[in-house]
Amino acid sequence: MKTMSTPRTVSCAALVAGVALVIAAADGATAELDEVRARGTLVWAADQEGGGPHVFLDPERPGSLTGFEVELADMIAAELGVQARFQQGQWDRLPLLLGRSVDCVINGIELLPERKRDYACSRPYFAYGLQLLARRDGPLASIEQLAAAGPGGRWRVGVLTGSAAEVYVRSRHDLEVDVIGYDGTIDSLEQVQSGVLDAAMMDDCIFNFYADRFARLRAVGRTFAGGYYTVLTARDTPRLTAAIDEALGRLIADGRLKALYDRWDLAGRQQILALRDAAEIPVAGRRSLRQLAADTLPMLLAAAGMTLLLACVSFPLAIAAGLAVAVGRLYGPAWLARLLTASVEVVRGTPLMLQLYAIFFLLPKIGLALPALVAAVAGLALNYSAYESEIYRAGLKGVPLGQFEAALALGMTKWQALRHVVVPQAVRLVMPPVTNDFIAMFKDTSVCSAITVIELTKRYSVLALSTGRIVELAVITAILYLAMSWPLSLLSRRFESRQERGE
Amino acid sequence: MIEVVGLSKARAGVTALADVDLAVRPGEVTAIIGPSGSGKSTLLRCVNGLETFDSGSISIAGHRLGPGPQPPRLLERVRRDAGMVFQQFNLFANLTVQENVALAPRVVTGISPDDAARRALRLLDRVGLAPFAAARPATLSGGQQQRVAIARALAMEPQVILFDEPTSALDPAMSEEVLEVIVDLARGGQTMVVVTHDHALARRAATQIVELVAGRVTRVGPPR
Repeated sequence: MKTMSTPRTVSCAALVAGVALVIAAADGATAELDEVRARGTLVWAADQEGGGPHVFLDPERPGSLTGFEVELADMIAAELGVQARFQQGQWDRLPLLLGRSVDCVINGIELLPERKRDYACSRPYFAYGLQLLARRDGPLASIEQLAAAGPGGRWRVGVLTGSAAEVYVRSRHDLEVDVIGYDGTIDSLEQVQSGVLDAAMMDDCIFNFYADRFARLRAVGRTFAGGYYTVLTARDTPRLTAAIDEALGRLIADGRLKALYDRWDLAGRQQILALRDAAEIPVAGRRSLRQLAADTLPMLLAAAGMTLLLACVSFPLAIAAGLAVAVGRLYGPAWLARLLTASVEVVRGTPLMLQLYAIFFLLPKIGLALPALVAAVAGLALNYSAYESEIYRAGLKGVPLGQFEAALALGMTKWQALRHVVVPQAVRLVMPPVTNDFIAMFKDTSVCSAITVIELTKRYSVLALSTGRIVELAVITAILYLAMSWPLSLLSRRFESRQERGE
Repeated sequence: MIEVVGLSKARAGVTALADVDLAVRPGEVTAIIGPSGSGKSTLLRCVNGLETFDSGSISIAGHRLGPGPQPPRLLERVRRDAGMVFQQFNLFANLTVQENVALAPRVVTGISPDDAARRALRLLDRVGLAPFAAARPATLSGGQQQRVAIARALAMEPQVILFDEPTSALDPAMSEEVLEVIVDLARGGQTMVVVTHDHALARRAATQIVELVAGRVTRVGPPR
């Protein structure tokens, strides 16, 4: 066993290094302006889940996209003499698509010092302000109230992950708030409306757009801490970046941009005045590797702790439920067995992500608002219980019938025979595959980021984007995952060898 | 002690038992013999309710079993009074030898774990296996395992013990160990029903021989 572990550790490290190289090498494949023209299409990325008024599915014509940025992308592409083609991506990871399949990102990307450091940014095309939103019947009446704890303790404020609102509210250490990151702005509005959140913070144009749909919410105070949207391009396509800048210049000068904003009820004249007076944004500095590690490691470790917590709480629940389901299916009355079989099929046949969404976003609609962590544990446990029940079913069937009969023949009830004789043997029998699933769950915890739980993968993604150190942080994150799953692999192999020896 | 009247059972249209009568008096050792597939084991398994039957009736230790599925509570009481020893021993693989013997008294009759452990050790001593109390069943020989199985059945202080081919899975030397235990129990007046095709066992332990052929009783009487 000892002799095995050294080469394995080496090969794991080699794998991490290899992945890092691939990530680094992929940066080379960017399309410059002449390639875009030769191809005849400008591929632009946005997240339709981000919502209106930027980019969203047209309710009038289902299946097609609309939004002021859809029209802006068409206008810029036309200025370059090509067609615009949309590429879907998750909002906080859109910049990562640059240089892969995408030429530029047009999706309410705020012009921030960090973005200027890591990407090429066009001249501003839109001015936004941040807006705080709360329920009309809620206690929050001004943003100053956030400085002291509310009636329910710290205020719970939802933001779009990676947005300027998140950067802003996280930088305000004087506020008594817990910041919760969402993958879509509408999600956070839903959660304010259902009472899970106290408030949400987002770009003003978003709330103006959805104000009618969320009639129970209102804007708290005026807008503040504004900024500008920019078109992101890769750093190694300067001619494409310049061409987009020139295109925006013409659209501003000849009034087409103002007309666009007026069509979308976005106060065209005020926009053009703000863009004219846009101040230059400084470029953020780059940290040394040592500084990067010192700054990010505590956060990554805390996130790894969350990953551990999620797996270590969810998995025992999953195996307890899985065992109960397996016993019910094999030894329970026929109606119960049928019910359980159907439930297992439903849980196994739907994605974990969807189940987490249902628990976190849909249950509050019937009055059951679970905190994100509880919802995450419930979702993981539910999902895995279906798989564990199948494993335990096989395990229970693997215990010879004679064991059960011998217990019955001594006068035990069915349940006593199961509890004292059959189940303990089944549990031992399936130890290796169950341990294997425990390792799998460690990695599946990353799905919980969809319902605002910040675990290791999410923390990595946020830090990588805010620092621009995608490769270095990937290596650190991979090592943390290995450090967590490695002892479990050893444990699993020990169970297996013990079983082979027939103990 | 046991009174089987007109017992019949068919499996997938094939007759397993046809109008079987059987009477076992207290203190008697009944050997049920006959060729393979003659229904010996089926008869025994019907007596303690591990299998159902189609018609007839069984009285055992004051309980009465009828055709078809029987209520679980009744079966539990029958099995408490009728211990069973299997051909393949069926010792609980997850427990030590001593725990195997102590489990049922503890969870079924509810005596304290300490008392159950003490009683188990006494019974293991009686079958000559006290030194193996802490061993796992898989580490014992077949003969030793079958002796543990007998101690396990005795632990419930049953009124009758049913043996289903207790020596068929054992070589002659190990059969002899088990046979000695059974003969010893017979001397002590333990009522037993032994399904076997080991004629030595039938001859040395039985007070009554019942021969079964194709599910029918062909001979009842004292051993020859």
